Amino acid sequence: MNQNTDTFPAILHQLMELGEAMMASGAEVNRIEDTLNRLGKAYGAERMNVLVITSSIIITMVLPGGQELTQTRRILTPGGTDFTKMEQLNALSRQCCAHPLEADALGRQIRSICGNGLPRPGFYAGSILTAGSFTLFFGGNLMDAAIAMAFAVLVCLLQERLTPLCPNRIVFNLLAALLTGLGIGAAVHLFPILHGDKIMIGDIMLLIPGLAMTNSIRDMLVGDTISGIMRLIESLLWAAALAFGFMAAIWLIGG
Amino acid sequence: MELITAFTGSLGYALLFHLRAGPIPAASVGGMVSWGVYLLSCHFLDGIFVPSFLASAFAALYAEILARIKKAPATIFYAPAVIPLIPGSSLYYTMQSAVQGNWAAFESYGALTAQYALAIAAGMSFIWALCHIQRKLAHRPSGK
Repeated sequence: MNQNTDTFPAILHQLMELGEAMMASGAEVNRIEDTLNRLGKAYGAERMNVLVITSSIIITMVLPGGQELTQTRRILTPGGTDFTKMEQLNALSRQCCAHPLEADALGRQIRSICGNGLPRPGFYAGSILTAGSFTLFFGGNLMDAAIAMAFAVLVCLLQERLTPLCPNRIVFNLLAALLTGLGIGAAVHLFPILHGDKIMIGDIMLLIPGLAMTNSIRDMLVGDTISGIMRLIESLLWAAALAFGFMAAIWLIGG
Repeated sequence: MELITAFTGSLGYALLFHLRAGPIPAASVGGMVSWGVYLLSCHFLDGIFVPSFLASAFAALYAEILARIKKAPATIFYAPAVIPLIPGSSLYYTMQSAVQGNWAAFESYGALTAQYALAIAAGMSFIWALCHIQRKLAHRPSGK
């Protein structure tokens, strides 16, 4: 019994790891809270108090015998979206709910899932396809789509190389939009038959936080108001930075 | 044409989000069909709120059903399916108008973006709530 209670800090630590990994894979706040609650109970907690917001996780576990155990985790990286990782973490937590793993084993599994980053071919192919599709979707012709696809590669390169250098996503969006806008502006200058606005909107779709904004409202509607507000404000600022970058590029090219 | 690009757009996003090869076709078809639902309901209804709500609710229902069949999180089907509806361009134009100081355009684009985003979020939350109730009802006898 005593030994049993001693293992809880290590378990709770791994639950924090799991929560952070889920956040980094793009899982909803609501789902993370639900998963951590279930897992804690599966490990034998009498009660779980879980609060997840986009920038932090707080858990207090009530252990059998009434002792309480609290850990908190600050989350700094907003994280992207990785559905393979999300699925694997989901499968791991389902399996762990049914047959709780030792803390070490759980930690190893989480690390092995998180070890592999986004595969580059999928990321590039996805970006190119998305940019081309949306250029056509918003009324561009095939030539415009081809140019948008070429600039999608630039956007990918910027996301890979520029992100680590930028202090946050506002700065990144501003710079990425400025550079992409200058490139597209130059291309339209050289080939005036292209539709610069259609090409830009195709590439903007890669950077615009439209899904993040919609998800933020969803968060608020399902009851995670703080997370929702944080994400809403963030996505509006990100979008404003994008607009500012593109406008600056248009102004520089035009003037 | 819009339907095809909705399909490839969803496919592109599915790849971007690193979806496994298995669920990719189902998720991309979801994008095309939910855009179809949007276009169809725009035909019969005024405004954009109700059509967006219906299309998003459809995408959420579709995702929830697939998630149960394939025992995977619903989000992985929902997010690509809803991509064509996402007001990315109007959000951009809203902010562009703000940067230009064109407050009349800012208001109209902003209102449009807010309507889309609210409708999509509401459509999804509506299905989420229904599924929650359905799950509670299904588990009640064994829970007692």
